[in-house]
Amino acid sequence: MARFHDLEVTDVRKTIRDAVVVTLKPAGGATEEFDFTQGQYLTFRRDFDGEELRRSYSICAGRDEGILQVGIKRVDGGAFSTWANTELKAGDTLQAMPPMGSFFTPINSAAETHYLGFAGGSGITPVLSILKTTLAAEPGSSFTLVYANKGVNTIMFREELEDLKNLYMGRFNMIHVLESDAQEIDLFTGLVTEEKCAQLFAHWIDIQSVDTAFICGPEPMMLGIASALRTAGLSDGQIKFELFASAQPGRAKRKATAVDAGTSANQTKAAITLDGATQTIEMGKDMTLLDAALENAMDAPYACKAGVCSTCRCKVLAGEVEMVANHALEDYEVEKGYVLSCQAYPVTDNVVVDYDQ
Amino acid sequence: MADDMNIETYLAQGGVLSNPSNVPPRYRAELMKMMATFVDSELAGAAGFADIINKGPGIKARIAAAKIVLEKSDSAEKVLRIMGDFGADTERYADHHPWTARLERDADIGQTRSKHDMRLAVFNYPLEGWADAVVMNLLMGSAVTVQLQELSHVSYQPLAEAFRAIQPIEAHHAELAAEGLMVLAETPEAGALQALADYWWPRVAASFGSGSSHKFEVLKAMGLRHTPNAELKARWENTVTAVLDKAGLKPTA
Repeated sequence: MARFHDLEVTDVRKTIRDAVVVTLKPAGGATEEFDFTQGQYLTFRRDFDGEELRRSYSICAGRDEGILQVGIKRVDGGAFSTWANTELKAGDTLQAMPPMGSFFTPINSAAETHYLGFAGGSGITPVLSILKTTLAAEPGSSFTLVYANKGVNTIMFREELEDLKNLYMGRFNMIHVLESDAQEIDLFTGLVTEEKCAQLFAHWIDIQSVDTAFICGPEPMMLGIASALRTAGLSDGQIKFELFASAQPGRAKRKATAVDAGTSANQTKAAITLDGATQTIEMGKDMTLLDAALENAMDAPYACKAGVCSTCRCKVLAGEVEMVANHALEDYEVEKGYVLSCQAYPVTDNVVVDYDQ
Repeated sequence: MADDMNIETYLAQGGVLSNPSNVPPRYRAELMKMMATFVDSELAGAAGFADIINKGPGIKARIAAAKIVLEKSDSAEKVLRIMGDFGADTERYADHHPWTARLERDADIGQTRSKHDMRLAVFNYPLEGWADAVVMNLLMGSAVTVQLQELSHVSYQPLAEAFRAIQPIEAHHAELAAEGLMVLAETPEAGALQALADYWWPRVAASFGSGSSHKFEVLKAMGLRHTPNAELKARWENTVTAVLDKAGLKPTA
């Protein structure tokens, strides 16, 4: 199971006005856990006014660079990204899970592969990691990048990309497509749509030679590009996507409980049996049985915590609980008193539940 | 850049998701269910087959059976790892249930799942000996092959990739079963094979689910399904009928 580790912030630098590149160093000997593959991302967590937020950001460093770096672009109204852009500084500690994600293809030093990358705005971060890594590790491969931005001043890593172009002359080609800034070539102005891609494939990019395509950007852009790539003959297996939605879903808000006559406080006394032992705890009615058990150091079973895998099933022997979601238990099980403890909130002032039955 | 589009619209238009951070709750639920069903079926299938290894006639047959157990466990792990990305405790998950547990041979459970896990109903029936295991593995292996072809296009990219890697392995299991069946067809046991096929046919057929179109439409809008159950089932019937025919067996009407 993935766990959070402490990371020391060793550097925070602006790449454009509203985006920072954060350099991190695993603390407490967790270096091995953070040995990443190009294109992967880190999931951070931080407490904002008592509410834990989790946000994922792609690693922008190459595998061979020996550093761990993520790019964080400020999103309007985004608590985490705003905080990272305004307050985060070297010396701070961040918590993150080990790198995850499969937005990459295996490196083969003997390969002569033509990669095609599409990045929209901050979608450049994983693509940058991939292109740096592959160009360094696969001397026979080439990379074409189509990089979409609003204007010149919102291009993240602009100078770094220019340097890479000089370093890998002939192997790294880059096309900037700018939404609002006019360029010498009309085709490079506007949005990267399906039609624009088709034109690029007709005049600028030898699509027949492309083995793998990487796309990271906003949804409509990804749809258009993917469609154009399929029309050009690429299979699903050749197209790699990475999407980070700006509206990341949070916890499902619990519906307000009606105040019943006869229930005095917002507290419940719960007797929870697990592995033959019963523990009686005081818990809030706004908490799930599973979370209450876990908070009281009980080793309650769970897996998906989404009401799906049924690993957290327990039986209600007395009292009443309310299950807010159930995608796993059949009706007859519910009738027998089984609930998914990750989805079950106490309703009565006393409940007795058993994980052993 | 282009304006935001909501995830539901994106998915309905064929969009692909790539990590847990942006899957909507309902999508997550259906995806987890799909993964749990696969993982539990593979673990239960492997556990059931493990008991059969020593019943194999000769070393080659036992190697084939052992290979199937190994590879089904491996496939389960591939998908369980993705469930782990969603916060599942993968070690506990793999060990939380006695995967060898089976119901009675004549239990009539249709398409319902057991109370304890998400395995497909067909994996609740016990295997009775080598020939039985071969026939079940042929019918179910072919079904899984068809189902994985479908699931290789799910809109959650890491899972689609896992299924794409698993599909040829499962297809090979069905091929091993077909070879095993041809061997059995030449033995005195051949006469018992039709009854076994008749036993497993409806149970495997049930694993394609019902024709419930509403559920299918919901999953289709999420990009988690593309081909209706009835069509997949027909595809399976065609494939497996041809194999049974070679062994002198008939499909169950």
